[in-house]
Amino acid sequence: MKLAFYFNDARCTGCYACVVACKDWHDIPPGPVFFRRVVVTEQGHYPRVAVRFVSTACHHCDKPLCISACPAGAISKRAQDGIVVVDSELCLGRESCGGACLVACPSDAPQFGAEPNARMQKCDLCCDRWAEGKKPICVEACPMRALDAGDQDTLESSYGRVKGGGQS
Amino acid sequence: MSAKQKKMGEEKVVKTACSSHCGGRCLLEVHVRDGVITRIETDRGEEPQLRACLRCRAYRQRVYDPDRLQFPMRRTGERGEGLFERISWDEALDTIVSELNRVRSTYGPSAVLLLGGGGDASQLHTSRLLGGLLAMTGGYTDKWGIQSFEGGLFASLATYGTLSSHNAFDDLLNSRLIIMWGWNPVTTIHETNTNWYLLQAKESGTKIISVDPRYTDSTAVLASQWIPIRPGTDTAVLIAMAYVMIAEDLFDKSFLDTYTVGFERFRAYVAGDEDGIPKTPVWAETISGVPAQDIENLAREYATTKPAALVAGIGPGRSAYGEQYHRAVKTLAAMTGNIGIHGGWSGRSSVPQWQFGGYDFKLGKLPDGGGNPVERGVPPRTDALPTLKGSDSSARIHAAEIADAILKGRAGGYPADIKMALVMHTNPVNQYPNTNKMVQALRKLEFLAVAEQVMSATAKFADIVLPVSTFLERDDIIVGGVRPFYGFVKKVIEPLYESRSPLEICQGLASRLGISLYAGKTDDDWLRTMVAGSFVPDYDTLKEKAIYRIKSAEPHVAFKEQIEDPEQHPFPTPSGKIEIYSQWLDAMNSPGIPPIPTYIEPWEGRRDPLAVKYPLQLITTHFKRRAHTQFDRVPWLRELMPQAISINTRDAEARGIRDGDKVRVFNERGEILIQAKVTERIMPGVVDLPQGAWYDPDEQGVDRGGCANVLTRDKRSPGGAACHNTGLVEVAKVDEGKP
Repeated sequence: MKLAFYFNDARCTGCYACVVACKDWHDIPPGPVFFRRVVVTEQGHYPRVAVRFVSTACHHCDKPLCISACPAGAISKRAQDGIVVVDSELCLGRESCGGACLVACPSDAPQFGAEPNARMQKCDLCCDRWAEGKKPICVEACPMRALDAGDQDTLESSYGRVKGGGQS
Repeated sequence: MSAKQKKMGEEKVVKTACSSHCGGRCLLEVHVRDGVITRIETDRGEEPQLRACLRCRAYRQRVYDPDRLQFPMRRTGERGEGLFERISWDEALDTIVSELNRVRSTYGPSAVLLLGGGGDASQLHTSRLLGGLLAMTGGYTDKWGIQSFEGGLFASLATYGTLSSHNAFDDLLNSRLIIMWGWNPVTTIHETNTNWYLLQAKESGTKIISVDPRYTDSTAVLASQWIPIRPGTDTAVLIAMAYVMIAEDLFDKSFLDTYTVGFERFRAYVAGDEDGIPKTPVWAETISGVPAQDIENLAREYATTKPAALVAGIGPGRSAYGEQYHRAVKTLAAMTGNIGIHGGWSGRSSVPQWQFGGYDFKLGKLPDGGGNPVERGVPPRTDALPTLKGSDSSARIHAAEIADAILKGRAGGYPADIKMALVMHTNPVNQYPNTNKMVQALRKLEFLAVAEQVMSATAKFADIVLPVSTFLERDDIIVGGVRPFYGFVKKVIEPLYESRSPLEICQGLASRLGISLYAGKTDDDWLRTMVAGSFVPDYDTLKEKAIYRIKSAEPHVAFKEQIEDPEQHPFPTPSGKIEIYSQWLDAMNSPGIPPIPTYIEPWEGRRDPLAVKYPLQLITTHFKRRAHTQFDRVPWLRELMPQAISINTRDAEARGIRDGDKVRVFNERGEILIQAKVTERIMPGVVDLPQGAWYDPDEQGVDRGGCANVLTRDKRSPGGAACHNTGLVEVAKVDEGKP
């Protein structure tokens, strides 16, 4: 089984419920660490404007670039469910390696606090919640049902295969 | 609370309803360990789940806000300086009661003003408790004019004779066209799940059009077309749409004949029979900036797509002559025959049916002392509708005029000389118009007591501050829902510090005033009694499950009976019909409230001579991460987006302003220093400063918090609409180097 997120940008209103729920569940203090983020893009010129909201977190890639980039071997992909996790004890710290994982990641998933030589933290797809039969906190927070998570094959059969699925 | 959770006591999960002022009503699952909230989840039960928004997801930081008021305090510095000393509850309550007695015996009961509000609105813990207590003990001066939607209420009463004119939001699934007029439910929640239903409507092919000065988040996600419009000109465009429908014979004559009165007089106005001005799309384009072609197309689309819902947001009505906008929307709803049918919309302001008498939950009422002695025998205002029962007394002062009334008193034509005020569940310095004037007014009072959770802008002016508990620290009941339900708000943890609930504060005052009614009765006692005559079958089950849903076979549609069987079900108006021409308004004979929907040029509009000096129209909208002033200091929310004034790229370039620059926003009433957000998402000539940011004046009196009401005018619309979206300002870049 490989667990994955599903996201439908046509449904996202940029309400940030997922972002704040994530911070509360994982007890992340206010500051630069966001396991989940909402990216807002504004395009066009008045009065022909378009705005898009994208809620994004770690994609738990099939072939995570962060794993091969990490000089300390602190990042791994769990065999049982494909969740990409970091061992903060092994992480050398952002300044020590230049944040190699963040440089490698195409979606800015690795997160660092404001403290000196901060160790990497990231979305773990709420592995504690799956054990209780609950989906990730962001998925259960979404008032617009724009987010889902589950076995990738099941998600693909429910929603259709999503472009870039190989990496995300 | 950043402390890491330690494995100590057992974690329990408590189901409760929320009582925030965001516009929604949701369910929470609150995790508690050793009496401390550790996490907050939301509804995981049966569909439709009531999932919380970002505000309640961050509520833990609000409960454990290091700046929460911990104990009663007495002012030691100047009013507004924020210097206080700790006192006991006994001393605080004794002081309030002795001041109350002194002021009443010296000046009479009307010298006592109560300012209540909707912050943490619920059924038990409300400022109505204080109103009842003051009524029982001699009386007080009350206010009228709901700042959010008095214009909508007025129009609903004048046109339909009732406030119960609102379809359920899930009925929008039956609409083939939805026009969101100044309505941005993605940001300003109008009942939990309304956006979810709107999204489903969109996904099933319903066309959604947004008419708004801003390209709102709702526009971005839900609408396929954006029609920008200048603030305060909505009525002109709506009337020009009527012109198109009449000219092209696209209106529902049989509906108008059967269910309405006065269309011919409206038609004469639209044609310009009296004033010589035909209300054409070109006429409206000049006023509103909406191209005539767009007005024509919108009129045709609304008239020929059935059923269609023109959902009138509250914002456009929070303006000069805002009542006319709501009246015009209703007239168009009648002209298109969209009243009383599934998928239509009667045009009531976007206030859910359950609020203010729209839906009867049959909950017991709090004691009101049999009415306010100060209002007894006092005639109603001459500009009050006869159906505006309760708040029509001429002894009341309109919310927008409170500051002026305190400053001028009877000599200024107001019904009372106010000497003291009690404030609960509201923050008038921040949220009433013309902040600087309110500051002057509060300085003039002999005594001010404020009950608050935090040191708000108003609390800083208080002589006595009382710390209030949050809704997670007391029991209560809320009602709401796209489909109606009762929610139980549970005491999840003990009140922090020395904070007390509004009921406990009322009890403390009551015992000192010789009123025994509240003695020894708990939240539970009151709530059990309130629920007794309601639809809730069992109080304890409600308390356990936190929700009881009233089952309904289909979405509620207002006026279904009146439309299906008009003989047996007349409208509660003088004519028994929908009054496009209102007899009540005709009798009022007030030029600002004409009997037919009329476009009246507003003060401080784009064509006001003042626009030479202050060329930008200011609107003061809701902000996603706040509920008015509430939640503004919650760190998890604050970091999501800064308070900023939105300005169109063209207006910014003309002033040398770049995105993120610090700018001065000013007019005759005040000045704000705030960050600029340069965007294509707002109409040129319009700036938007979200209301609710905390007033924070520097030594020169310049507000550095970004409180929009520093700039708004304290004048009410003739029918009572508040005018927070009517105002002119100028914006200028602040030179680097200067503070």
